[in-house]
Amino acid sequence: MIEFKNVNKWFGKLHVLNDINLTIPKGEVLVICGPSGSGKSTLIRCINRLEPIQKGKIIVNDVPVHDKATNLTKLRADIGFVFQQFHLYPHMTVLENVMLAPVNVKKIAKSKAEKIAMKKLEQVGLTEKSGVHPAQLSGGQQQRVAIARGLAMSPKIMLFDEPTSALDPEMIGEVLDVMVNLVSEGMTMCVVTHEMGFAKKVANRVLFMDEGAIVETGTPDKFFDNPKTDRAANFISMILTH
Amino acid sequence: MMAFYFGQLVEIFPFFLKGLWMTSKIAFISLVSCTLIGLVLGIFRSSNSIILRHLVGVYVAFVRGTPFVVQIFIIFFIFPEWGIQLEAFSAALLAMAIMGSAFICEIVAGGIAAIPKGQWEAAASSGLTNLQQLRLIVIPQAMKIILPPLVGQYVLLIKDTSVVSVIGVMDLTRVGWVTVVRIPEGLMVFTLVGALYFMISYPLILLSNYLERRMAV
Amino acid sequence: MLTDFNFRVIWEYMPLFLTGVRATAFIAAVSITLALITGIIACACRISGIKILKYPAIAYIELIRSTPLLVQIYFLYFGLPTLGVRVPELQTGILALMLNSGAYIAEIIRAGINSVDEGHIEAGISSGLNYVQRMRFIILPQALGVTIPPLLGQNIVLVKDSALLSLISVVELTRSGQTMTSERFMPAEAFLTVAFFYMCIYFCLKTFADWSQRKLIFREVY
Repeated sequence: MIEFKNVNKWFGKLHVLNDINLTIPKGEVLVICGPSGSGKSTLIRCINRLEPIQKGKIIVNDVPVHDKATNLTKLRADIGFVFQQFHLYPHMTVLENVMLAPVNVKKIAKSKAEKIAMKKLEQVGLTEKSGVHPAQLSGGQQQRVAIARGLAMSPKIMLFDEPTSALDPEMIGEVLDVMVNLVSEGMTMCVVTHEMGFAKKVANRVLFMDEGAIVETGTPDKFFDNPKTDRAANFISMILTH
Repeated sequence: MMAFYFGQLVEIFPFFLKGLWMTSKIAFISLVSCTLIGLVLGIFRSSNSIILRHLVGVYVAFVRGTPFVVQIFIIFFIFPEWGIQLEAFSAALLAMAIMGSAFICEIVAGGIAAIPKGQWEAAASSGLTNLQQLRLIVIPQAMKIILPPLVGQYVLLIKDTSVVSVIGVMDLTRVGWVTVVRIPEGLMVFTLVGALYFMISYPLILLSNYLERRMAV
Repeated sequence: MLTDFNFRVIWEYMPLFLTGVRATAFIAAVSITLALITGIIACACRISGIKILKYPAIAYIELIRSTPLLVQIYFLYFGLPTLGVRVPELQTGILALMLNSGAYIAEIIRAGINSVDEGHIEAGISSGLNYVQRMRFIILPQALGVTIPPLLGQNIVLVKDSALLSLISVVELTRSGQTMTSERFMPAEAFLTVAFFYMCIYFCLKTFADWSQRKLIFREVY
C-alpha cells in the first residue's frame, strides 16, 4: 500500500532521510519511534508530499507520490493526517472543520457532509461539541476533532505525527483510545509516537530510526524487550526512565 | 473685510461641495481598486514562485521609495510621450491605484505571513487545492490581522488624493487653491477645506482605532 | 518608447539635481529634528492628565492626522500672510512638515509607552518609585526599543512628504525636476531622474532602518 524505494532527502547539507526502503502492507499498524531529529516526522510527511524528496520513489496505492503528474488532491484525499499541534482551523466550528474537505474537495452536498461529519464526531465521542470553536476545547478534545477531520474523507491510510506529544498526561488516554478503535476497524496506520503501551497493544511492527536511517524493525514485543542494536536499547531505556 | 470675504465664501460654497464630491469619487474608486489589486499582489508576494515574489517586491520598492507627487508627474507627463493620452482624472485614478495597491499588498502579505505554516499543511493534507487553502483557511484568518492596518491605510489614501490636484483635477484641494486666488483669506479657505477632509477621514480614524483595540484584546 | 531618452541633458542638469538632493536632505534633517521635539512635547501633554494640556494636544494630533499634508501646507502658505506674518517658503514648508510629522511621532511614542507591560509599572509603584522615576527608569527605556523602528519609518515618510514643498516653490529635489521640465520640456528625463535619486535616499534609509530593527530584536532575545 505504501512503498519507499531508496528514498533520500536533504535539508541543505543535513541528510534527513538516508536511503529509506520500506513497505507497509494494507491493514498494517506501524509505529515509528526514534530520538528527536531522527527523521521520523519527515518520513511520514513525505507520504502525502508535505515534504519533497531528492532521490528515490514513494508509491502509495500504486501512485508515485513525488511525480509531477500526480494529482495531489486525489492522493491526499485518501490519506488522513493528524498533526502534533492539531492545527484545527480557529475561525471555524468543530463541525465546519470536519465538513470542510468533504464539501470542498469531494464536492459532497452540505447536508450529506454534515451527516458524515457527525458520524465521525460520534466515532471520537464529541458530537455534543460540534457547534463550538476549537479554542474552547481541551487539547485532547482538539486532537480528537483533528482525527475526525482526517477520517471525514474516508481515507485508506491514516498518518499520525506525534499525536499525543503536545497533550497533558491526563488527556493522552482519550486520544489513544480513539486510535485503538480505528485499528480494530482495519485502518492502515503509520504512527510516530513514543507511547510504548499503544505500540505493544496494537502495532504490528515497530520501526526505529536514528540520524535519518532505519536502524531496526521488529514486532513490538521483540523490539522493546530485546532490541538488537545498542542505539535502540539506549533509546528504550531513555523513554522508560522518562 | 473678513466679513465680506466670509459672505463670498458662503456664496461659492456649492463649488466646494463639487470638490468634495470629486474627492469622494476618486477616493471611493481608488479604495476599491487598490484593495482588489493589493489583495492579488499580496497573494503573489507570499507565493512560492521566486520570480513572482521578487517582481512584486520590485514594484513595491519603487512605489514606496518615491514620493506620490513624483509618481503622478511621471504618469501624467510620460504616458503621452508613449502615445497614450490620459486625461487628468484617469491619470489620477491610475496613480492612486498603483500607489495604494503597493501599500495594501504589503499589509496583505504581512497578514498571510502571520498565519502558521501548520494551517496550510492541515488544509493541504485534507486535499484542498492551493487556491482552496488560501480562500477557505488562510485568507479568512489573515483578514482579522489585515483589517486594522487596512483601514488605517484607507485614511492615508483618502488624504493622498489631495495630491492629484497638482495635475488639475478639480478635487477639494484644487477648489481651495483656485478660491484662494479670488478670496485672499488663506486661513478661512483652507480651514473650510480641512474641515471637509476631516469629515471624511475622522470617522475612519475612529474605526481604525476601534479595530486596533479590539485586535489587542 | 523611451528610445530617445536623453542622458546628455540629464548630465547637463546634474548640478541642479544634486542641489535638489542636498536641499531635500537638509529639509528632512531639520524637519525630523523639530518634529521629534514637537512630538515628544505633544505626547507628554497628551498623557499628562492635565486637562488644559491634554485636550489641546489631542485636538492638534487628531486634526493633523485627519487632514492632508498638502492642505496643511497651503493653509500655512496662504494663511500666514493673511495674519500679517511674512515667512519665506522654505521656513513655511519646514514648519508644515514639523507640525505634520510631530503629530504622528507623538502617537508613535504614545504607542511605545502603552506597550510597556502593566506589571512592570506596578512593580515600580510597589517599590516606591514616583511617576517621573517610573517614566525614567522603567517606561522610557523599554518604550525606546519599540519606538525606534516606526520613528525611522516616519523619517522615510517625511523625506517623501517633503516633495510636496515643491508646490510652494521651495527649491528641493522634485522642484529640480519641475525646473528642468519647464526649461526643456523633457518630463520623462526629469522626473525619472528625480525618482532615481529618491530611490537612492530611500534605500539608504531603509537599509539603516532594517539594520537597526535587527539589532533591536537581537537585544530583546538576550
